[in-house]
Amino acid sequence: MRNRLLGILLGLVALWSCSTNAVAQNKKTDAPAKPASASNLRDLSGVWMRDAPPATAMQYWIYELNQEEPPMTPWGLAKFKESKSSFGGHEYSLEETNDPVLRACFPPGVPRVYMHPFPFQFIQTADEVVMLFEVDSLRREIYTDGKPRDPDLIPMWMGSSVGHWDGDTLVVDTTNFNDRTWLDRIGHPHSDQLHVIERFRRTAPDHLVDDITIDDPKAYTKPWTAKLEFKQRPWKLTEQFCEDGETFLGLEKKEASPNK
Amino acid sequence: MGNRLPLFSLGIIVASFACPPLFGQNRPPAISEKAAPSSSTPDFSGVWMRSGPPASNKVLQSWIFAFNVEEPPMTAWGEEQYKAAKSSFGSHAYSIAETNDPVYHGCYPPGVPRVYLHPWPMQIVQARDEIVMLFEYDSLRRQISTDGRPHDTSLGPTWMGDSVGHWEGDTLVVDAINFNSRTWIDRLGHPHSEALHVVERFRRTDHDHLVDDITIEDPKAYTKPWTAHLELQLRPAWRLEEQFCEDGENFQKMENKETSPKK
Repeated sequence: MRNRLLGILLGLVALWSCSTNAVAQNKKTDAPAKPASASNLRDLSGVWMRDAPPATAMQYWIYELNQEEPPMTPWGLAKFKESKSSFGGHEYSLEETNDPVLRACFPPGVPRVYMHPFPFQFIQTADEVVMLFEVDSLRREIYTDGKPRDPDLIPMWMGSSVGHWDGDTLVVDTTNFNDRTWLDRIGHPHSDQLHVIERFRRTAPDHLVDDITIDDPKAYTKPWTAKLEFKQRPWKLTEQFCEDGETFLGLEKKEASPNK
Repeated sequence: MGNRLPLFSLGIIVASFACPPLFGQNRPPAISEKAAPSSSTPDFSGVWMRSGPPASNKVLQSWIFAFNVEEPPMTAWGEEQYKAAKSSFGSHAYSIAETNDPVYHGCYPPGVPRVYLHPWPMQIVQARDEIVMLFEYDSLRRQISTDGRPHDTSLGPTWMGDSVGHWEGDTLVVDAINFNSRTWIDRLGHPHSEALHVVERFRRTDHDHLVDDITIEDPKAYTKPWTAHLELQLRPAWRLEEQFCEDGENFQKMENKETSPKK
């Protein structure tokens, strides 16, 4: 498993170093791009890939949401110090890291689920918006039928999400998180009081913005924000399972290969 | 991982022995049910739960861990693979410590059609170009393209296969290939090779019932194609819950909740 994890890490670094064109070549399918027009702005359906500048080094957007530190409480700071991340400036090795995703293939939670170099897909129906992630074949169901959350839900890795439309913006409200995930890949903390609000908006037919607000009074002195941008891709999601480090590594190698 | 897997496995065994029709009675109210339109492509959207004869607590009902009571027609190679499978189900069950079941040792995906042999619901989401099956079990999914595209095997064999679907009148025909050889056909360990070809015919026989007629074809493992039949019941008040195999602790809590006599 250690070799696989090292391979995954190296692969991830390599992948972020690739230009987006190189990534696209291996994702080429005959999937038709969803026709996007101004009248479709209230429909987020399609496959989206994070639109970030090509990284030639470990740039912050690979492992955290903002360059500046979020405003942690003393509790939050103490928890942050416990994180032994394999990313960022003081990387721990894969043997030393206590990253729950790298140690045990646990789900990454929200918003960490966006901090992976793989696409996600929105599927929109009358009652809900489903997000399918390529990373570890994860998903989120965002209920838009107006019904309240079940008060008896056990704390969840990916939280419980409800959504509603505010003009052309899909507002997603997620709570009911467990406290076992990291907020990002460098180990910024959160408690089970984490409350994530996202505002998704198509700023252009093939461009999506997610304005995120992180609200967790136990971990942070005040709510803080981040912004993610995505570009639509004519891709189909491929299968990926963290437990299957072998196949995962194969995909990473393929993505990073100069021979593609 | 050592502590979690036995708990998970115990949970599976406990869950299997209980009466499946009792699962999920306290589900929260949720997605509104949709009537199946009669004049256009049928709509299979909704949360569906496998139904079968009530399971006595005293006897291991075969439909919990295999598709048919009778043995499928295995080739010599198939028989050999089957003998090597040390299942923790059935009449000669191995313990969790002894089993070589890939689901228990590694939390690997169950493949198709084994994904149906779990006592949790699945949700069908019908979109324009595809039908998505969301399984509560280990939060797995299948994406079935319905836009007429051919199979895509370009990235090599996969755990859950590559599925394409088309409509024949009121029947959804799903064709799946491109499986790796690392899963079991069922929980007993019946085998398959990379030549596995699964064809399913889904039909909504009435508003609350869906049937799936499955044909398993694998000339390396079986001397001829064989069939199975699943029945599913609509659960309009249910929403899928989160479930991750790696999280044996939570999984065990859910198992306890599902099998509690207080429900």
